[in-house]
Amino acid sequence: MKAPPMAEPLLSVENLQVQFRTDDGLVEAVRDVSFQLAAGQTLGIVGESGSGKSVTNLAVMGLVPQPPGRIVGGQVRYRGRDLLRLSQRELSRIRGNRIAMIFQDPMTALNPFLTVAEQMTEVTERHLGHSYRQALARSVELLERVGIPAAAERIHDYPHQFSGGMRQRVMIAMALLCQPEILIADEPTTALDVTIQAQILELLKQLQREEGTAIILISHDLGVVASLCQSVLVMYGGKVVERAESETLFANPRHPYTLGLLRSIPRWDGRSEQRLMAIPGQPPNLARLPSGCSFHPRCPYVLERCRRECPPLEPSGHGGDKACFVDVDTVHDTVPTREVSP
Amino acid sequence: MPLLVFLLKRLGWMLLTLWVVYTVSFFLMRSVPGGPFDSEKQIPEPIRRNIEARYRFDRPLIEQYGRHLWDTLHLDFGPSYKLEDYTVNEILAEGFPVSASLGIFALTFALTLGMTAGVVSAVRRQSVFDFSFMALATLGVAVPNFVLASLSVVLFVFVLGWLPAAGWGSLQQIVLPALCLAAPFAGYIARLTRTGMLEVLNQDYIRTAYAKGLSQRRVVLRHALRGAVLPVVSYLGPATAGILTGSLVLERIFFLPGMGSHFIEAALQRDYTLAMGTVLVYTLLLFTMNTLVDLAYCIVDPRVRLEQQA
Repeated sequence: MKAPPMAEPLLSVENLQVQFRTDDGLVEAVRDVSFQLAAGQTLGIVGESGSGKSVTNLAVMGLVPQPPGRIVGGQVRYRGRDLLRLSQRELSRIRGNRIAMIFQDPMTALNPFLTVAEQMTEVTERHLGHSYRQALARSVELLERVGIPAAAERIHDYPHQFSGGMRQRVMIAMALLCQPEILIADEPTTALDVTIQAQILELLKQLQREEGTAIILISHDLGVVASLCQSVLVMYGGKVVERAESETLFANPRHPYTLGLLRSIPRWDGRSEQRLMAIPGQPPNLARLPSGCSFHPRCPYVLERCRRECPPLEPSGHGGDKACFVDVDTVHDTVPTREVSP
Repeated sequence: MPLLVFLLKRLGWMLLTLWVVYTVSFFLMRSVPGGPFDSEKQIPEPIRRNIEARYRFDRPLIEQYGRHLWDTLHLDFGPSYKLEDYTVNEILAEGFPVSASLGIFALTFALTLGMTAGVVSAVRRQSVFDFSFMALATLGVAVPNFVLASLSVVLFVFVLGWLPAAGWGSLQQIVLPALCLAAPFAGYIARLTRTGMLEVLNQDYIRTAYAKGLSQRRVVLRHALRGAVLPVVSYLGPATAGILTGSLVLERIFFLPGMGSHFIEAALQRDYTLAMGTVLVYTLLLFTMNTLVDLAYCIVDPRVRLEQQA
């Protein structure tokens, strides 16, 4: 299956490299990451904590704390401009306006000292030159869109007067105020109850349908990504290890890490006789990455070559790209991964 | 409505506190040996008895307490025993405005200087500003105010000649004592603000504010400052107490006609009525300030409720 032809990408990240100076030494949080996002597309970025998925997107927003962070190389091209070369001043005209971001924990991501109205109106006042009156009307409109009841009154409440799910709705409304072309959602449902998670995902889906906003969804939850995204990027140890359309990836994973991730999801459809599998070992220490492929110490199909060489990201021959020397089909069922002990 | 309940509750507590302070001070003063009329020269016995009768010293202590408390409740502190021809009320009415202006100026200086230095230090961390402000802050806290006062008199009065050395009545005369009084508090507030600001700047909601495309100035002043000054607000209560006691020293050094000198003199000379008057005024000031601080806390942090504060 071939991916549909991509239009001129809206956002294109090329060979991005980000380092952090820590007490443990230099940490390479993002190593040579590239991807493209077309207008209206939904891209999922999946990986464990520390895989570099959040840092990649903070770099896109120009929000990597520097120091200790440092962007060593690469480009982030948006509408022909390299965002990494822009001054904070120029970047701040794009942030919250053309590219908006929502964060994981709506409890801490909203300012507890300001009312929702105060926090929302300043966005369109800043970017669209609204008066307070216009900004307030626009904010109420968005709050209604995301399903906050009695928005016109509730907008004058403080964040602590809202529930967790409602706060995330407020965050989403705030991000959409200026009708951004790109919405980066960093684990938008992780801190929420399962039932609320489903509602928020449904809301994102609906807004995407109606507004045509391109979304980058960062998550460690494959289920969340599967339900929302057209294409998926799997990250491990600061690198992209697999990239494919989401149907392709879930039906036919080509990287042992992706395979491990998929096998570690409980399935309730009864189709599978497989036991629940865990990926053995620990996520890599980014300050002391293993030689060669950084997944090799945990890989069930490891070859001698994997310990020395880092596999490049290349077409997998199944409609996506993978960074692995092994063809998982040939070894797939011969090497057992470890079962989860009950 | 919660505000009214809060204020009424506070008023109740204040009256109780004043009464306790009054009673404890009264009996403490009387339990100290000596009296207001034990001067060096011998007074003939009949005259002495006359005086004591006039000031009710011949009555039992508990009766004196009751009568004086009754007068105090009618806001009459009685005559001063040492400063003849003056009532305590007159003395307080003269000294209070001086001490209060000094205190308010000092508190204002401490807040503006301390908070500005703290914010700049936090935002420009590890810069020349940060290092020099924090060095100054440490000096301000460490150097006793009488040393600072003497040094600044030498510098600003005798070397530079910018300000007058002492006296009361003009704005120039209040600047130097108020600055000396404020210095340690400004230093402490600078450190509190810097620490608070650094902590707040690491919060998720600050990242959100930047993600919205706001300028650094707006993020710092609108989104970060409130959270950063919460520790400063809590410190205002103790700071007021410190400024009250500190003003006793500075009023002496700069010859200010405030309440401070009366407070010390009255205690040393057993001027019972004047001592009681000053103690009560200081208690009242401190209590009012603490109430204002609690109100300020609710204004700064919307999660704090008045009911909890009461």
